[in-house]
Amino acid sequence: MINPFEDFKNYPYKKKEIPLDRIVQAKEKVIGEIVEGYLKLVEEEVKDLVWMVEHSRLIKAYSSAVRTIQKIDYDTDDIEELCIELDKGDKIPYLISGPAGIYLSALLNNAKEDTIQLGLYEFKRAFHFLGYRLPQGKTLLLKGNAGDFIGAGLSGGRLVVEGSTGNWAGAGMMDGELSISGNTGQNTGAWMSGGQINVEGHILGIGKTIHGGRIYHRGNLIRPYEASTR
Amino acid sequence: MGNTVFEQENDMQKYRENGNFRQKVRTIYQFIQDNLYLNRPDMRVGEEPFNSALLFSLLTALNRGKELIIGEPGLGKTTSAEYVSAMTYRLPLGLIWASEVSGHPEQTEEKIIGRPDLGRLNQGEEVVVWSYLAQLPVKIVDEINRLPETKQSMILDGIDRGNWEYLNDVIINDEYCLFATANYQDRGTNTLIAPLIDRFDVIVESRHPGPDMALMIGMKDRHENVLRSPEYERSFQEILAQRRDHHEKMHLIEDLSTRFGDHMKKEHRIEMLSKDERQEIRACTQELPLDLDANAFLRTVIAELSFCYKYGQKRSDDQCDEGCHYTGFLCHHMKNCISNRFPTSVRTYAQSLAWLLGDEAVGIDHMKAVLPYILAHRVQWKDDVISQKQTSTRRDPLQIFMAKEMVTEVYRRYNEQSHQIKNALAVAYQSASGKDLEPIEGDHPIYLEIKRDLEEVR
Repeated sequence: MINPFEDFKNYPYKKKEIPLDRIVQAKEKVIGEIVEGYLKLVEEEVKDLVWMVEHSRLIKAYSSAVRTIQKIDYDTDDIEELCIELDKGDKIPYLISGPAGIYLSALLNNAKEDTIQLGLYEFKRAFHFLGYRLPQGKTLLLKGNAGDFIGAGLSGGRLVVEGSTGNWAGAGMMDGELSISGNTGQNTGAWMSGGQINVEGHILGIGKTIHGGRIYHRGNLIRPYEASTR
Repeated sequence: MGNTVFEQENDMQKYRENGNFRQKVRTIYQFIQDNLYLNRPDMRVGEEPFNSALLFSLLTALNRGKELIIGEPGLGKTTSAEYVSAMTYRLPLGLIWASEVSGHPEQTEEKIIGRPDLGRLNQGEEVVVWSYLAQLPVKIVDEINRLPETKQSMILDGIDRGNWEYLNDVIINDEYCLFATANYQDRGTNTLIAPLIDRFDVIVESRHPGPDMALMIGMKDRHENVLRSPEYERSFQEILAQRRDHHEKMHLIEDLSTRFGDHMKKEHRIEMLSKDERQEIRACTQELPLDLDANAFLRTVIAELSFCYKYGQKRSDDQCDEGCHYTGFLCHHMKNCISNRFPTSVRTYAQSLAWLLGDEAVGIDHMKAVLPYILAHRVQWKDDVISQKQTSTRRDPLQIFMAKEMVTEVYRRYNEQSHQIKNALAVAYQSASGKDLEPIEGDHPIYLEIKRDLEEVR
């Protein structure tokens, strides 16, 4: 068959480019890097397929996650995309709740945006550790129910949950504000040393050991006892 | 690997000869312009001024073309063709005159092509006596539009292929060029039929030279012409009248032509072209490549002249839809579809022009220079387009003026997106070669034509 364009055989060509294609391509590249970072973290953390919530382990996992994401140029849409991928499990073969939450928190805490909103309504899974070590100057709004350890180690940021949380909400928080419009589980505010927790719904249980900070229930201070009874 | 010494010497020899031939052709142009066909330059190629009638006649003679020369009576239409023919084909002017055919309503096939040899016919033999027009490589038909339309068909095949048939005999010209002249429409003229007009490669106007040069022409002796040689003319006619095989006669004509050329050089210092030289020039010309811009520009022009979004291609009997997206392109302004003879004419004339100017490839400038003269007679404009343009201030006859405007317009469109068009063609090459690439899209008929090609090729 004759090629009627033979004269242009050696002309340097550029492929057809639709702007949307380029955007999608760039997005896919970023999400690919994010997923790769997560899998690397999981590989490091879950060598024996069990991940225990220990203070030192959390710090190590978080530091590792921060190192991994430093070179990735992502935004909040990419974080949401990772949540979708974690929930669907198409690109990610296994979801280990702890490292997944730590990794998501590292992404949220290091995002360019100061205020981040994350919709959780449509996810089948509950995400744990969201808002872990949320720093000062950051506001995270979670729409929908979240898992355990929400706002754990909160470090000056403002975390608002429009829904309920599981156990250990605000555990070990040092500073900042955690507001929950729904219910919380057991050990709310355990080991907290600063900051403030506001719960509008039902509190299943308060943490036994609380070093500082305040817990309000429907506007009433319930911890520390001394301050609330004064 | 580099060329061998032998090849390099050959190349050098070729280069020298080519340069000599070019110089010879330019001398012919200059000689005719300064002495025989006085006229004003009316076009420029790059910085160089030319007279279009003379330039295109010369290119027509060199590349075996067909030229239609229009103009007012007495402004040198036939004369320019005669001088160019005599000098490029090394024939005396009187022989050219003798071979000319005039168009008029009573013209017959017997006068134009050939007649039976009556003496031999009486003896029961069917032998054709061929006309000079059919035999000689230079053919001039004067006032072709005075031939009735039915008789124009008689010369179609001869004009197109150089095949001349009469009774059961045929002669085929291996080298020929044709010039036809036409007056503007008056009571005595007919319309040139579309198949005939499409066979002409170019159309030019032989113009009034202006009062000063007209006076110089008027001062010349009408009966003295340096290109005439009654003695040689008789010898040529004797050969043509012989009852011999056509090819044998052509060899004899070439021999005599060589002697005539020597005579002209010796007596008048006029150099003319031999058959070998013409062949060598043609070979060199045909080797000249079209650069990518010229190539893409020509494709763009053809796309506009043949495209129809709704009906697949331009057809004379299809009407354009109101509100068609492509109303801004040429396809919307014309009735007919451009023929396949058009790109052949463009390539040939652009190559000849590039060769004459000593350029190594055909570029956009060559294309822009030749295109109006190749398009003007081939495009049938819609009536409303003609009525918009016919009162415009201009120096050219309407059809050439409109063709020039058309070329400028398409060039502007091409220039705006030349990279994209070339890219589309390059991508199309890769795609047609099997690569998984989407065709490039854009707002010009050429992109859709490329897509259509790819649908066929894939």
